[in-house]
Amino acid sequence: MSYKRSRGTFEADIAAQQSPYVIFGTALPPLDPEVRDDGSFVPVWKQEVRDERGRKRLHGAFTGGWSAGYFNTVGSKEGWTPSTFVSSRTNRHKDDSHAASQRPEDFMDDEDLADAEESKRIQATAAFTGLGSTEDDASRASSLMGLSRTESETMGTKLLRKMGWKEGQGVGPKIRRTARLELRNDVDDKSNTFLFAPENIPMIGFTRKLDRKGLGYAGESTLLPAGFSTKTSGFSAVHDDIDADENIDDLKQSRFSLDLGRMKKERGRGGIGIGVLNDTGSDDEDHYEIGPRISYNRIIGGDRKKKKAAAPTNSAVKTRPTFIPKKAGLGRVALGVRKCHDGRLPLDGFVFGKEADTLLSTVGSEQKYPPPEIPADWVSAKVPKLQSDPNTYVSTADAAKASTLDPKSRAALLGEKQLPSKSIFDFLSPAARDHLASVTGKTDLPEARGGVPAGYALTEADRLQNLINQIPKMDMETAIAAISRGVGVGAPYAEDEQKRSRYRAYLEYQAGFNKNPPQKPSQTSTDDWLRELKEFFECARIFKPMTGLMASRFTTSSSSTKLTAGSRDDVGDKDVLSRPPAKPQDPAEEAAKLGMFGPLTRSVVNFYPTRLLCKRFNVRPPAHVQPDQEPAGSGRARNEAPPHNDAYDEQRASRPELLALKFGSGSYSSPPAAVLRDPASVTEAEAIVQKQADKPAIDSTRNDALEGAKAGEDVFKAIFGDSDDDD
Amino acid sequence: MDFPSRPLSQLLGSSGPVHAVSYSASPGTYILTGSADRSIRLYNPSTTTAPPPLPEGRLIQTYAAHGYEVLALAVAGDNARFASAGGDRAVFLWDVATAQTTRRFGGASGHGGRVNAVAFGGAGDSLVVSGGLDTTVRVWDTRSGGGSFGGKPVQILTDAKDAVAAVAVSGAEIVAGSVDGCVRSYDVRMGRLVVDVLPASVASLCLARDAKTVLVGALDSKLRLLDRATGACLRTYAHPARRNDELRVQAVLGGKERFVVAGDEMTATTADTTAPTAEAAGRIWAWDLLTGKVVAQLAVPWGGGGDGNEGRRRVVVGRDGKEKERRNVVTCLAWKEGGFGSQFCAGGTSGVVTVFGEG
Repeated sequence: MSYKRSRGTFEADIAAQQSPYVIFGTALPPLDPEVRDDGSFVPVWKQEVRDERGRKRLHGAFTGGWSAGYFNTVGSKEGWTPSTFVSSRTNRHKDDSHAASQRPEDFMDDEDLADAEESKRIQATAAFTGLGSTEDDASRASSLMGLSRTESETMGTKLLRKMGWKEGQGVGPKIRRTARLELRNDVDDKSNTFLFAPENIPMIGFTRKLDRKGLGYAGESTLLPAGFSTKTSGFSAVHDDIDADENIDDLKQSRFSLDLGRMKKERGRGGIGIGVLNDTGSDDEDHYEIGPRISYNRIIGGDRKKKKAAAPTNSAVKTRPTFIPKKAGLGRVALGVRKCHDGRLPLDGFVFGKEADTLLSTVGSEQKYPPPEIPADWVSAKVPKLQSDPNTYVSTADAAKASTLDPKSRAALLGEKQLPSKSIFDFLSPAARDHLASVTGKTDLPEARGGVPAGYALTEADRLQNLINQIPKMDMETAIAAISRGVGVGAPYAEDEQKRSRYRAYLEYQAGFNKNPPQKPSQTSTDDWLRELKEFFECARIFKPMTGLMASRFTTSSSSTKLTAGSRDDVGDKDVLSRPPAKPQDPAEEAAKLGMFGPLTRSVVNFYPTRLLCKRFNVRPPAHVQPDQEPAGSGRARNEAPPHNDAYDEQRASRPELLALKFGSGSYSSPPAAVLRDPASVTEAEAIVQKQADKPAIDSTRNDALEGAKAGEDVFKAIFGDSDDDD
Repeated sequence: MDFPSRPLSQLLGSSGPVHAVSYSASPGTYILTGSADRSIRLYNPSTTTAPPPLPEGRLIQTYAAHGYEVLALAVAGDNARFASAGGDRAVFLWDVATAQTTRRFGGASGHGGRVNAVAFGGAGDSLVVSGGLDTTVRVWDTRSGGGSFGGKPVQILTDAKDAVAAVAVSGAEIVAGSVDGCVRSYDVRMGRLVVDVLPASVASLCLARDAKTVLVGALDSKLRLLDRATGACLRTYAHPARRNDELRVQAVLGGKERFVVAGDEMTATTADTTAPTAEAAGRIWAWDLLTGKVVAQLAVPWGGGGDGNEGRRRVVVGRDGKEKERRNVVTCLAWKEGGFGSQFCAGGTSGVVTVFGEG
């Protein structure tokens, strides 16, 4: 019965046969006759270097090579194919979560990946390691640092910067002194003085001496851990007596000095021999920097954790994890840490409330500087004002009653100007004054002057003029139209003959036919008369002649027939008034009607053909057609200077004035009063023409709103600038 | 050479008034007629059968795509295409052989009203110029755009104050006659627009071959030959008996520009009285171009052959419900340019196009 031996037995057999003297360990594999295993020379072309994954990667052969991408390229086996960006309305690219995108990892080799992995280790910094524990409480309670931890520059620094301060300078006005040049310090040239910023004087922090060391003792330089020796960890807890004052000193420096740079601590006060371990030259340098970078400490105070792992219970000891007997430890602690007032240590888990910071304690303690005691016999020089007695309260009205002042004296008190008013007796007649005196029984009434108020001291003509001015005004055309319409059956006030005649008189006066204003009937009051005139005005206003388009649409039948039938001259006055203004004739049309073809009927303007039109006609575009200036399809020819058109426009523009002229001139000659108004209207028209001529010259090539002087940058800054003061 | 006054044939088939006639390009073998019955017909006037009283031209093709009456026709120089326009506010470009429209210029950027006139222009007849009731002259590019009512005009000339009644193109010049009484000449080469004012609305335009003169038919019953260089009126053609003051009656130059031929709104009375349709016959006037004297006055019979239904067609029911007799007003004329012999045709309200030739 044969069976297949297992591989292990087979190999064991082989090994036993090939190397029978191997007792410990595993024998080498049997010699392959094809392969020489005698350490003899292998030609270079036969040598192969492979990385840990068996890939032939020759880069960095000693460390196993590095590779990224496809053979250290960013491409692939097929080559470099840029990815295509595809995004549609239904399938948005940004929503596609699993879209193939390149990550930094695609271009990192193993070493980079290892580095990245290492840097991913998240660890709370020293400031937060004590979260939940009472380890750091002492330091936190000791100062304001726990409250206001400023990562960036403080507001005070910002303000100082705004005021012109620079880092490294002191605060204060500039000082005139000679330049301190180290090269020529022997030359004391007093004339060469310059303005310098004051020196930065570090603020002296007076520290309460808490330890029992001698004055000026700064402790011996010890071998500190790297994280501790760099003063960035200055905020960490200060427990050790040895370093207490030193660290406090650091705190003061970093807090109150304006020097924001990292304070390099002078550490030259070494004790015995200065070896390589406490070399002062470079703190950051690790003299025994060996081993992979992975082992670097990336956390500030990160080595604390290791320390804690070594001595988790004793937080007081930082430097050496040495065993301390309990009693000795207590004693040691007792040296620095206060006991309770009864001489005992605080309970487990409790710490002393540390006395507040020296700065704070000097500032805020009331007991230290109590105010001086007031002598018993001291009397203040100031006398408080007496409160008004509520019993003697007098109301305003009562006070006014009690006052003996009259308005005039009050006005004098207040500095008011004397009113120019007069007494009523100035206007009373003596008889009226006597009557008043007899009625009231008073005899001390002032003398009656019998004056006449200014508004009534008028002549008869002035009074009439006033009255006439109060007559509502109406423009002449409307009045004429109203007269012309006031004759038929439907005319206003047909039933009241007198009123109609008054109406007619009013209209005639307004139309200028009658120079005399309408007479006020003697029995009616002025107000009634004016009211009636106003009514006339409202009534006649309806007949205001229509203008322009409306007038051409609505013409009375009589006038239109007359217009077509008769000539212009024998049209009656009334029909003339409602006749629409004649359409101004185009001179070219008139010339054409007369058969005068030629220059009169011809006008030439510019025409701007589009480029495509020119191309299709196979002609060069005219010189005045700017390329691409004219959008296609808007080829309206421009009137450059058509002679007749200008005349036409002018005529049109000044038509109302011309109309006014016509109304005043002799073409409507029947009212003689129109002639009286004629000069006025003519001058008016002249004034209008003059006004047209005096129109301000407008430079069409310049737009002041766009091309005016640009506002300064300050203005823009003030409006649009960022209100934050970060600069 | 006498004026061709003998009726050669009649072109029948239209059931409504004929608004436009046009000879094919040289040699002018065929006649296109645009009718109010919305179709365009292609005739050969010479191949005739001979029914009494007049031989009848053979209808070759009917082009039907218009939805409204056809008012204007223009034939391209290569005889392969022609353009038509009418009441449907669009200009159609036709392929003669396949009787299909190849371009339809209209739609949103097309005319806003009836299109009264159409003409080919440009190098290789690549442009179609159309003028219409919307007071614009639009220039269309036959080479691009204009699918189904797409395409934008190359240019829109919006100077006219009233409807454009006639357009003509010669060289790089577009001449447009408008109802506002102006003949506007757009000189594309110079970029100038020359406006000539006439005392009445312009109804027809006909450019001379050298384009130095233009025959303008106006609604004051007069025809004027204007010198285009100066705007002067070289000669006026009129006759007291002729009247043209409301209809678009065409006037053409013909016979190597020896004659001025025009229709008339009045019906003929001097035609032979033996014909039963004498009163309704239209009239054609012909003047000598140089002297301005009337050369001929032709009567255009109502036509329609001897099928006996012409009387029925002549009587229509008017808007007031009464029957009234239609007159034959010759509104459109075309002179055969090129080819052998002088010949012209006239169409009118009777719907029958009569071909006149030398007899």
